[in-house]
Amino acid sequence: MTEEEKQINDNKGFRLPGIQSIQSTPCARDAILHGAGGSLAAGLLHFLATSRVRRSFDVGLGGFMLTTLGSWFYCRYNNAKARVQQRMIQDGMKNKILYEGSVPDPVKQPRAETPSSPS
Amino acid sequence: MAHPSQLGFQDAASPLMEELLHFHDHALMIVILISTMVLYIIVAMVTAQLTDKLVLDSQEIEVIWTVLPAIILILIALPSLRILYLMDEINDPHLTIKALGHQWYWSYEYTDYQDLGFDSYMIPTQDLTPGQFRLLEADHRMVIPVESPIRVLISAEDVLHSWAVPSLGVKVDAVPGRLNQATFIVSRPGVFYGQCSEICGANHSFMPVVVEAVPLDHFENWSSLMIEDA
Repeated sequence: MTEEEKQINDNKGFRLPGIQSIQSTPCARDAILHGAGGSLAAGLLHFLATSRVRRSFDVGLGGFMLTTLGSWFYCRYNNAKARVQQRMIQDGMKNKILYEGSVPDPVKQPRAETPSSPS
Repeated sequence: MAHPSQLGFQDAASPLMEELLHFHDHALMIVILISTMVLYIIVAMVTAQLTDKLVLDSQEIEVIWTVLPAIILILIALPSLRILYLMDEINDPHLTIKALGHQWYWSYEYTDYQDLGFDSYMIPTQDLTPGQFRLLEADHRMVIPVESPIRVLISAEDVLHSWAVPSLGVKVDAVPGRLNQATFIVSRPGVFYGQCSEICGANHSFMPVVVEAVPLDHFENWSSLMIEDA
């Protein structure tokens, strides 16, 4: 490792492994943030309505779990749809290059038949 | 390959491994939520100052903590079974390679068109050149074409071994006298490392698996050169 690379690595500082995996997992960061927001909102609203502290914390936890799960599944579902579309596009591009100009070419239009002149 | 202090999976290089990664994320999120809830309940119970000595039963919570885990298990089982059956799909391989485990090296045979076979020994640490990886490099790599379905037939010549490449999502036991099959497609060109995954003697940690995925024309050139050299 060169001196420059060593310095760059040292400057990055201490990185928590758990936090890194949340950042690198698609939809995880958004789901946790939405969950935190939902938990705060649910707990706060319940407390304002009832002034019960412990029960508000319970409601907050329930809000966190429901919001996180909901955001997670919604984002992952859209992610999965996008991945399928991406694969279909990639296969389509490959097939287009492979079959261009030949009989199985899906883009090739049938020739319009010219009407024969009456004798 | 893995980087130092890595905790998670390696980046996927095959569609199957991508599916496995996504399933792992899904299961891990559910597990994290359940653990958070359990931890919260523990803290709430420990800090509670009230004690009800007359609770005998409660039908509502019994129903909840029976139905909810059943639903969660179904949510985990359905994608899991989907991937399980996906792994067993036959996808008309373009190339069949035999990988044979020995003490302590792998040998590969490409016998579809012509007889090509070679051994793959680990490069000792003292012989590594700068940039090579310790305990992972081999003198001859298993070269395969990228984006082609590959069938690998795995067996062993002496004791149990296991042919594993984490980034491809493949781990198959090499059993003497038995032929196990693995099929995969490599999505991108690159070099993918794995290690023997079944204890097989003194040098079990020193017989790596190295798979190199290259474009088809490169693969054809490589196989022609290997046959000439043989």
